[in-house]
Amino acid sequence: MVDLSIILAGFSDAFSLTNLLFVLFGVVLGQFVGAVPGIGPIMAMAIAIPFTFALSPIVAISFLVGVNKGGLVGGAVPAILMNTPGTPDAAATALDGYPLAKQGKPLKATKMALFSSITGDTFSDIVLITVSAPLAVLALKMGPIEIAALMIFTFSVLAGLMGSSLIKGLIAAVLGLLVACIGSDPENFTPRLIFGYWDLFDGLPLPSVAIGVLAISEILHRMSESFGRVRPAIEFVESDDPDQDRVTWAEYWGCRFTMLRGAVIGTILGALPGIGSTAAAFMSYAFAKASSKDPSSFGKGNLHGIAASESANSAVMGANLIPLLTLGIPGSVGAALIVSAFMIHGMQPGPLLFENQGRLVYGLFGAMLMANFLNLWVGQIGLRLWVKVVSAPESIIFSSALLLCFVGVAMATSGLFGVAIMLIFAVLGYLLSSFGYSLVIFIIAFFLGPRFEKSIAQSLALTNGDLTQAYQSPVAVALLILSVVSFFWFLKRNAAVEKEQNS
Amino acid sequence: MRFTADRVSGTLFLALGLALYFLIIPNYVESVTDGNISPDMMPNSLSLILALCGALLVFKPTLHSTQTMRSFAITAAYVFILTAGIYAMSLFGFVYVGPAVALAIMLMIGERRPIWLVAGVVAMPALIWFLVVQVLGRALP
Repeated sequence: MVDLSIILAGFSDAFSLTNLLFVLFGVVLGQFVGAVPGIGPIMAMAIAIPFTFALSPIVAISFLVGVNKGGLVGGAVPAILMNTPGTPDAAATALDGYPLAKQGKPLKATKMALFSSITGDTFSDIVLITVSAPLAVLALKMGPIEIAALMIFTFSVLAGLMGSSLIKGLIAAVLGLLVACIGSDPENFTPRLIFGYWDLFDGLPLPSVAIGVLAISEILHRMSESFGRVRPAIEFVESDDPDQDRVTWAEYWGCRFTMLRGAVIGTILGALPGIGSTAAAFMSYAFAKASSKDPSSFGKGNLHGIAASESANSAVMGANLIPLLTLGIPGSVGAALIVSAFMIHGMQPGPLLFENQGRLVYGLFGAMLMANFLNLWVGQIGLRLWVKVVSAPESIIFSSALLLCFVGVAMATSGLFGVAIMLIFAVLGYLLSSFGYSLVIFIIAFFLGPRFEKSIAQSLALTNGDLTQAYQSPVAVALLILSVVSFFWFLKRNAAVEKEQNS
Repeated sequence: MRFTADRVSGTLFLALGLALYFLIIPNYVESVTDGNISPDMMPNSLSLILALCGALLVFKPTLHSTQTMRSFAITAAYVFILTAGIYAMSLFGFVYVGPAVALAIMLMIGERRPIWLVAGVVAMPALIWFLVVQVLGRALP
């Protein structure tokens, strides 16, 4: 049990002026880089970590937390204004944010994203602070069979949710899993599908694939559309009605259940390593759409769609730290970067962290709450500025974004090989989206692929090669039944939609 | 049978799945007898699912249509510039090639205003150089 004096000392460390300034700097930097398509907070964090050597551990980690949280808010800006998610997490936000921006309400959409993001994030941080240990124990009880079943359920929901064709959703998921097979197999570590390129032995670099598929492919689409015609990256319809530029209390309060549900989904999925914020955002979106009285308004600028995805993806960030702080298992790329920052400063995340470094842990919690507060105010002031960042002519936005992606990926992957892979996946992403395949399912499947295969291998080991033994796990059975039910439900729903379209 | 975007992509995925299963995976995945899961189990299963889904899509396509061939051709031109840019960067470095790539992209988009061209071709690469080399102390590609 942690002493109250340690908790208070930790919080007092967090609320020092130096720490406040570094968190503020981190939030501003995070929002800015999140707003620039193709960069994102992960890359900013990766680049910033070596520069935190000179800082004290609490200041360094608080700064990185600020960058990560700021990036979650900033990532929604290009998603809403350009339909180009600054981060994969913001892809679900674009579904309703972009149509709302096209209707002349870009500030309303970005502010709703800001408020929902901070609501979800604060909820998740409070859960982290109060019940981190019990939740981590729950997450730990999910063995490989349950994790594999959970991933199958996630794929079945996502494949049905994205687009009108379940088959195309499945193809996107299968392609993502196939691409994730490139590298070494997780059990025997033999080279697999590397075609003689030993640089691929550790698998395809995540920044190359993610930035290529999500950012560059969208830029290619946009550049082909605007060929020979200079225009702003987004053209705003000016409105005299101030309500179009803000979120009223009634609108915010009307989304309270959507945000709460999103925050709960994000917190639960965030506590499970490997699932991540993108899956949480889409799952929350699916639930919001399914429970809506007017599901047809989703995808056309419904504030509930933005609230659902942003509250869920931001809630993941705090919950990701639950397995990290209590078990030493990072739940996401962002959490993995925070682990490396911990280790740089001589700390070992895990069960003993609360006992040995309690003051630092509670300092981190204080910094997280402070970052949420600063995120709100920096967002309120900065959103108009970040909107300007993507309001410049497309020519400079796209050429600059391309150069930044080149440099960022080259730094993240230590060379131009990663940049070449990024371009290959940009072309693949362009073709997939041109032919109506979901890039988001592809990228989620790519992220989850290695863990999915590992879970299956571990499940086979546990069941002596007989997967039918999975019936002994009620959680796995329930998830697999839900997967089958959702598969047929989406099949039926899509057939009805297709029939309606044909008629 | 009508020629639709889904039938084209479905046929490609059917062919890709079969090529993976019969040609690529047997040649580029090592066989291991030990362990719980063979290295080729996952790719083989996925390639068969891919082929099956491709075949299903050929027989049951949606109404999706793609953009025009002109649009694909323009994208191919942009991809060519970017590919040439990466190759040139491997020879001459980002400092010389980055501005040239930015200029080519901006001109293709249709930008002719000198102030924006200077901003995109000179100011932005200079800012990137300053940030990466001077501030972060890292090397540019």
